[in-house]
Amino acid sequence: MSEEKQTPLIGRRDALKIAGATGVAVVATELVTTGPLSAQAIEGIERGNHKEDGSSEHCWHMVIDLQTCIGCQYCVWTCQAVNDVPDDDMRWNVGFPEQTERGESFYMTRPCFHCHEASCVKVCPVGATWIREDGIVDMDYDRCIGCRYCEVACPYDVRRFNWGTSEEENVYQPTWGTAEIERRPRGVVEKCTFCSHRIDRGLAEDLVPGVDHAATPACVEACPVGARVFGDVNDPKSPVSIFLRDNDTFRLREDFGTEPRVHYMRPEAEA
Amino acid sequence: MATAQAEVRAPFAGAYRIWVIALSGVMLIGIIAGIVVLANGLQVTGLSDRVPWGLWITVDLSAIALGAGAFTFSAIVYIFHIERFKPIARVAVFIGFIGYTSAMLALAMDIGRPDRFWHPLVYWNVHSVLWEITWCVVLYSTVLAVEFLPILLETSYFDRHPRIRQFGGWLHRLTPVMAIFGLALSLLHQSSLGATYGVLAGRAIWFKPSLPVMFILSAVAGGVSLTLLVTLLSTKLTGRSLISKELTRDIARVAGFAILAYMYLKLWDWAATSYYSHTPGAADTLARLQATTPYEQSFWWLEVILGGLVPAVIFLVGSLRRNDRALMLASGLVVFSIIVNRWNVTLSGLVAPPQWSPGVLGNVVAAEYFPSAIEFAVAAGVLAFALLALTLGVRYLPLYPRTTSEGGD
Repeated sequence: MSEEKQTPLIGRRDALKIAGATGVAVVATELVTTGPLSAQAIEGIERGNHKEDGSSEHCWHMVIDLQTCIGCQYCVWTCQAVNDVPDDDMRWNVGFPEQTERGESFYMTRPCFHCHEASCVKVCPVGATWIREDGIVDMDYDRCIGCRYCEVACPYDVRRFNWGTSEEENVYQPTWGTAEIERRPRGVVEKCTFCSHRIDRGLAEDLVPGVDHAATPACVEACPVGARVFGDVNDPKSPVSIFLRDNDTFRLREDFGTEPRVHYMRPEAEA
Repeated sequence: MATAQAEVRAPFAGAYRIWVIALSGVMLIGIIAGIVVLANGLQVTGLSDRVPWGLWITVDLSAIALGAGAFTFSAIVYIFHIERFKPIARVAVFIGFIGYTSAMLALAMDIGRPDRFWHPLVYWNVHSVLWEITWCVVLYSTVLAVEFLPILLETSYFDRHPRIRQFGGWLHRLTPVMAIFGLALSLLHQSSLGATYGVLAGRAIWFKPSLPVMFILSAVAGGVSLTLLVTLLSTKLTGRSLISKELTRDIARVAGFAILAYMYLKLWDWAATSYYSHTPGAADTLARLQATTPYEQSFWWLEVILGGLVPAVIFLVGSLRRNDRALMLASGLVVFSIIVNRWNVTLSGLVAPPQWSPGVLGNVVAAEYFPSAIEFAVAAGVLAFALLALTLGVRYLPLYPRTTSEGGD
């Protein structure tokens, strides 16, 4: 009798309940924190929330030398041909005439900066854009819902929306190159990818992006005066590492805290 | 019941018919415009990559903000048990339901791929405030539907379906639980709509922690005001007393204090970001807005004076509060100023984008936006839908205690 009266603090049924509740809580937490996103996207979005730890194999950066640039627009047109952007208003790599405070003319060009702290990545409601391990801000055109929050978030006016179906002929082909990627459908956002298709294919063929033409972004390859330098900052011998070490470069609007992976050389000879 | 309805219908019968026909016509125009959008894509809008959000986002934000009366009164009545507000809770829920439905209609037009509307529910990015908003809005619309359905099931049509009506009664018992969910979800997404802009470090005029709080305070003020406006207008047009004078004045006080809270925060927000500081990003954007748009004037005259201080005085000064016309004017002004505010917030960060070029020609700073005819047509269609739903609801649904059938609570 007395034994029966002594109920344990946690009975078997309670233990089962607790185990069950814990299980549900774990699954719920897992679902709430990750959702049914692909592992690649989760990792890539998380990457946008942390500084690089240097553990990735490659980290692609670009330098645009505004002193050397002659404003020929080859990089602009080649980008349009290779990435199949027929509409001039949709340019991923924009270029326009500019002037320094002292009145010197120069030509300003701008690809996507593939920011370390990319605001476009954090805001996407469907995880359609993320930072790859090598630093490239990539996107999935099949997942994008076209809400354009990334366009609103990007302070550099990098992203482009397909307002209509792009059916026009691309006048930059074949003079400046041939289409290497598929044209994007109506209703999704698109952007410069640092020609990630070239980098990925090149690495698979043991080429060095930034050195071997086939593995280098089209805009860098097209420049007749070498005003664009590209490469892996994890490799101290890469062209971009050498350039960044030997020159005083800057990045646009550092105050945004976006930490772009594209660096500039001042247009004037000496400030 | 039938005589009561006939009584409601008696005055304004002709005007009512014209009103309903006109709204249906505008809705039809909106539907046609919507089809044009779906067929051609968003190239038919005045939007661009520089200004990718415009009139329709303003419609979304305003509709959701003005629907905030639903969660406010549900919380007051069912969580805080301030029972004297109960007669207004139903119409507030109904207005909220219309607001959220209208917002979803506008949103369906605004996203580039409406066929992928379900993506945020399946592909999650928990870091995105827009993802959180999507979930909250979907869940909260469900809450509103659960709160609204019993009202619908009380109509005389369901006299012959007692089982369904029983289900309605069962649903109605969930209202207190729904009020808790509704409060939590609304506190989340009403403020997150402000955070949508407030978290963007690259746009200095938006980047501030006050924006989410100002959004929820202004939403409460706007939602309560719209509930009051609808009630007073219905009272006037039907010629029947729908709620007591005392309750009318109590609601006006709630609206008044909500506006004061909003204006208080707005004062310090303005003081810190525009008066006591001259940080490059925000100052530059404000200067450009001042030079090219009526932003400054509309901020002071429409948002602060006509939409804030004037209605606050009317709502809170006893003698003015007893005047129904003054109350209608005040609540109408608040509703209008909420819409102006959502437009101003959205467009201010977009039409004066940050200058990022290292040069001085300023090629990147020019951005213009004016909604296209199609955008206006869709927005008018959504508005007509909301007004038509409201008109029919006030006429046929037991939204106020005195117009309910005997079976009502």
